Amino acid sequence: MTQSRTPVLLIILLLVPALIGLVVFRLYPIALAVNDSFFNVLRGNSVFVGFDNYVALLTDSAFWNSLKVTLWFNLLINPIQIALALGLALLYVQNFKGVSVYRVLFLIPIGVSLPTAVIIWRIMLSQDGLVNGVIGIAGVPAQPWLTAESLALYSIIAIATWKGISYWMIFIIGGLQNISPEIYDAARIDGVKAWQRLIFITIPLLRPTLLFVLVADVSINFLLFAPIFMLTQGGPAGSTNVLMYEAYKSGFVFGDMGRAMAIIVVVVAILLVIVGLQFKLLSGRKEAR
Amino acid sequence: MAATTARRGVGLGLRHLAYAVIAFIFVLPLWWAIVSSLRPNGEVFADIFPFTAKALLPSPFTLEAYSGIFERGFGMIIGNTMLVALITMVAGLIVNGAAGFAFAMFQFRGKTIILTLIIISFMLPFEAIALPLYTVTQQLGWLDNIAALIVPSVANGLAVFLFYQFFSQVPKDYAEAARLDGVSWLNILLRIYVPLSVPTCISAALLLFIFQWEAFLWPLLAMPSQQFKVIQVGMAAFQQQYQTIWNQLFAVSVITALIPIALLLPLQRYYVQGLAGAGIKG
Repeated sequence: MTQSRTPVLLIILLLVPALIGLVVFRLYPIALAVNDSFFNVLRGNSVFVGFDNYVALLTDSAFWNSLKVTLWFNLLINPIQIALALGLALLYVQNFKGVSVYRVLFLIPIGVSLPTAVIIWRIMLSQDGLVNGVIGIAGVPAQPWLTAESLALYSIIAIATWKGISYWMIFIIGGLQNISPEIYDAARIDGVKAWQRLIFITIPLLRPTLLFVLVADVSINFLLFAPIFMLTQGGPAGSTNVLMYEAYKSGFVFGDMGRAMAIIVVVVAILLVIVGLQFKLLSGRKEAR
Repeated sequence: MAATTARRGVGLGLRHLAYAVIAFIFVLPLWWAIVSSLRPNGEVFADIFPFTAKALLPSPFTLEAYSGIFERGFGMIIGNTMLVALITMVAGLIVNGAAGFAFAMFQFRGKTIILTLIIISFMLPFEAIALPLYTVTQQLGWLDNIAALIVPSVANGLAVFLFYQFFSQVPKDYAEAARLDGVSWLNILLRIYVPLSVPTCISAALLLFIFQWEAFLWPLLAMPSQQFKVIQVGMAAFQQQYQTIWNQLFAVSVITALIPIALLLPLQRYYVQGLAGAGIKG
């Protein structure tokens, strides 16, 4: 019997399906997006236009407004989601009688898809909806949550945050469970206060996990689409018109695939730069695990 | 002694209060959706101005919203989504499990690069490539074909990573001992490693199922004629079409949410452990 150390054929068989998936459905589309962004469709024919689609974006005020909305949206939603997810995870890992009921309830939004959350919240935030009813108890007048230029973006942030933080909480719980309890015991004996333990022990030791969550969360929020598509379609007055929606509109409403692909390439490029910066600035010295 | 016990009791009470308030915020939207789906359409906004606690109870009670949505063909949409999600789940377990096993068990040239590439490329959210993927699907002739929904979603970086992580932890001695006894690699995988990996399979299966259940942008693009509707797209279309049939909108939302929740709650331990582990090393 021959017993080769590495069964090459088997390795190939095991890897090929995943690799095909990677090449055909991930790498090839990215290459295609870059390629298509250099073309325009004129009367059914693809015409090579070089960097024209990108150059056009430079002087396109709709694009710049959309970029501004996307950046402002992300500047707010990501820190909010991660801070709340951290707080929630700290509550989740506490042990006391009856805590398991709350743990289950904290997980509920994970099962609620974003489109479902959007439909429920749209009705909750409507003029006669539950939210206006509840703030009415305190005498606050009803607000046009989704139709006012000054409120719509923040309502979308609230909805996505309600839906998202349970999911991010799970990853942070994993990080918290990885910190050895002896560190806390020692700190407690030395009389370190609870908030000091959080800032000087928990957060530094959680850094790898928080970095992972930050990167993953930013990637998702940078490309957020469903709530804008379903609630505001970029309005009112472009105040929620993020780049993903602008690209979708360009390609699938106005049929300008060249511009759509150019926007997608710009979005992914900006995202990659942000993720790269996060790694560079935050991973820093690796903490001992 | 008595004083400390009392103080501890008050502390526990305050704790419960704080947790209950937070849990209430998490549950309230779904609760209100359930309650409103059980009311007649004209009564959905009753008891809100001025707000009374009755707004949070299903009175008057009726199931007409549920019978209404099934008359509009919502059962078919649920069936479609189940089909897509289950096929993706089974195929995904095999494909991603196999890749994870290969990465964990064998040393070969370019392993680290391929593994990193797979994980990074799959970490890029589906939305980023949805528009160009539309062109790929068009070239493959898969538009409006159920294959367009399933095949691109089978390979999943997080699932590969979960399996890779799990199989790396299993002592290599098992495989080596079996190899000395002349057992083939395939049998080692199927007889030893697959049974050991059941918890990982459950968390990966949940991941794949929920991914498909929640898919929105991709089915919207890949199925332009909307003959074959999946649940999130069906729901969004329903919302646009029947803007003011509130109780049926709620009934659709409730069913869409309760199916994954019914899966998650009994299996939450696997889901939490699986994802939490991925985050630490990720």
